[in-house]
Amino acid sequence: MTLLHKFKTTSAVAALFSLCAGAAFAGPSDNSLTIGLGEEPPGFDGYISTARDGVMMTRHLFDMLVYRNPETFDYEPLLATEWTRIDDLTWEFKLREGVTFHDGSAFDADDVVWTLNTYADPETGARSQASVSWIDRIEAVDPMTVRVVSKTPFPAAMEFIAGSLPIYPSDYAQEVGLQAFSQAPIGTGPYMLEGGDSGQFTLKAFGDYYEGGGKGTPSIETLNVRIIPDTATRIAEVIGGNVEWIWNVPEDQVSQLDTLPTVTAEQGSTMRIAMVAMDAAGRANPDTPMADIKVRQAINHAIDRDAIVANLVGGDGEVINVPCYPMQFGCDTAAAVSYDYDPEKAQALLADAGYADGFSIKMLSYRDRARAEAVQSYLAAVGIEAELEVVQARASFSAWREGGVDLWYGDWGSFSIADVSASMGNFFNGSTNDGARDQAVMDLIAQADATVDEDARKAAYSEAIKEITERAYWVPMHTIVMGYAYTTGLNFTPNVDELPRFFLASWE
Amino acid sequence: MLRLFISRCALALFVVFAISIICFLLSHVAVDPASGVAGDSATDADLEAIRLQYGFDRPLILQYGDYVAGVMRGDLGTSYLSGEPVSALIAERIPATALLACLSIAFALALAVPLGVLAALRPNSWLDRGALTLAVVGQAVPNFWAGLLLILLFGIKLQWLPISGSSTLAHFVLPAITLGSFAMPALMRLIRAGMIEVLEADYIRTARAMGLSQRAILFKYALRNAVLPVISLTAVQFGFMLGGSIIVESVFAIQGIGYLAWQSMSRSDMPVIQAIVLFISLVYIVLTLLADLLNAALDPRIREKS
Repeated sequence: MTLLHKFKTTSAVAALFSLCAGAAFAGPSDNSLTIGLGEEPPGFDGYISTARDGVMMTRHLFDMLVYRNPETFDYEPLLATEWTRIDDLTWEFKLREGVTFHDGSAFDADDVVWTLNTYADPETGARSQASVSWIDRIEAVDPMTVRVVSKTPFPAAMEFIAGSLPIYPSDYAQEVGLQAFSQAPIGTGPYMLEGGDSGQFTLKAFGDYYEGGGKGTPSIETLNVRIIPDTATRIAEVIGGNVEWIWNVPEDQVSQLDTLPTVTAEQGSTMRIAMVAMDAAGRANPDTPMADIKVRQAINHAIDRDAIVANLVGGDGEVINVPCYPMQFGCDTAAAVSYDYDPEKAQALLADAGYADGFSIKMLSYRDRARAEAVQSYLAAVGIEAELEVVQARASFSAWREGGVDLWYGDWGSFSIADVSASMGNFFNGSTNDGARDQAVMDLIAQADATVDEDARKAAYSEAIKEITERAYWVPMHTIVMGYAYTTGLNFTPNVDELPRFFLASWE
Repeated sequence: MLRLFISRCALALFVVFAISIICFLLSHVAVDPASGVAGDSATDADLEAIRLQYGFDRPLILQYGDYVAGVMRGDLGTSYLSGEPVSALIAERIPATALLACLSIAFALALAVPLGVLAALRPNSWLDRGALTLAVVGQAVPNFWAGLLLILLFGIKLQWLPISGSSTLAHFVLPAITLGSFAMPALMRLIRAGMIEVLEADYIRTARAMGLSQRAILFKYALRNAVLPVISLTAVQFGFMLGGSIIVESVFAIQGIGYLAWQSMSRSDMPVIQAIVLFISLVYIVLTLLADLLNAALDPRIREKS
């Protein structure tokens, strides 16, 4: 009796609380979508907020000059309607007439000139200097025409213009200052920031968004974004229906979630590539076995990448043999030397190199412990004892850059840029990411980066790919897949560049 | 009493100073701060620009000096990531954490005091055993797992309570239970042990012999003595909660101090990390001080001694 009584009281209290909680988000009925993200973007300035979730928001609030279609990889008009290359250094853009910012002010060449010139100045502090440091200056030819001039011939210019350079309203941004702008942004994008407090914010479809741009016009009226740091909680919210879209769903959860009638879960392939990079230059240790080409080839033969992909990557993950994403410009898969899984050959190569008894090395990884342990045990099978440490992404990157490890099982998303200069160009150019420091390869990369002649670039990259794979500086591993889960009934297509586009999403 | 107060304060200041040095050193040695600010896909040029912009290339001692000078002026610095003043970031998050801490400690005490007293009245009874089991379970179950179980039951199965966020009071129920049930066992065991000891004391027997009511004996004479160590422990537990529980706040997506700490650590946002560590140590120190003073107020012997 008492128990029953207690139970009744509890339910009454709970019912009261659920009344306080108010109506949950309603999804299709009010044409809104509630999105659960793991990290709060530090602000909405696309030049500062360069983490994935931030880049995604930038694409919704702002427009770039051009749009790269995620399906066809073609450039399509956005704020610019036409563009031509004037010479090796200069691109000219005709701007779209009649575009307004979210505050109603008109868009013209001044906005483009001010935004890009401001951020091209290193003093402004753009987080990703690679996106802007190539810019020499921006000039307005007339109120609706601008020219972007690079310091040296810069082949990836259009990639960055389409990918990383949002345009801000010059008057408003100057008036409030960039710090305040980042908290209360105004753009020309398909969605405008309506407001929010810590832990959540709301985007509303921009009613006056122009037609005819590559992004189309948004179908979903409201995007409610909630920050939920814990993956398990995010998944619970999707199951409960309070959150209607999440990503970064762990591989083992995707298939389970997909069995629920209300949830659709899938793995989307991405252009992020994983690799085991080797410290061939001996930064970690001058006497490292990694300096020996036979050891590096042995490591390539020792790892069963097919098994890792089939069992631990999941989805559309693919084995790669090249040090770049195969869809990127210049990523010539035919030029690569590939190594099949052959532990006996690996052992023979190690014996040849004078390591018949094996050796021990330090290995660092992040993201996925299971995959790293698989590599560790494949190495152990041929006599290499890899002392594995799995740490946070940032600590892992900085350890590799400071040359603290022999092997680094990392991955790279190429800033979502479909050009080899963003992948190989970052790992074999003599920078701190470069564990090989091969002068011949560095020269080839520099040569390809310095011309806009497509054939010459392709030739140089193919040569570099051949060198890199012949000398086995990396074990190119596989592409990474991204797990998504969303309420069934949402039309949503994952893209390989890991940038969800909610302006293309809709409810059935 | 005044001497006690002054010496405690001096000690507290020294502890804060030592903590600030350790925290500063650790956060600069563990990860290259520039690569934390720049993110995973930074190039060398990005890192160099950030080092110059934030002065990471300067000697550590100078960077620390600047930091201390700022703190003295009440300036905790600005977040590397959002550019907002750190004091504002922390102030914005105190209400959620404080509310969670108050609810959790209230929940813990509401369970611990009656259970502890009842268990002490009937040692080794089924009630005592049950309370012990509850204590062991509460202490042994990790926070994140308890939180998830509660989410599964009340959030998904029964749909009574919201799972994540901090916009209404209802959002605090599950996290307060999770956090409170972790603090409860130690408090309950301490009350039980204290009560058993006190109830066997001579003066209680005298009180019984004088025919005082059970209620008066329990609450007026016994509990008041048994509760002294409980106050100290409550202060420590409360301090721990005010510092924000990283796990509970992350699991339930409560925008409090603990979540801010976690977020700043994963992004190497040094000024925020340092300020939070400083804040947490201050909270601890102030609460322990308060507990000491409260004990002195309740127990004349402590007053006499000092």
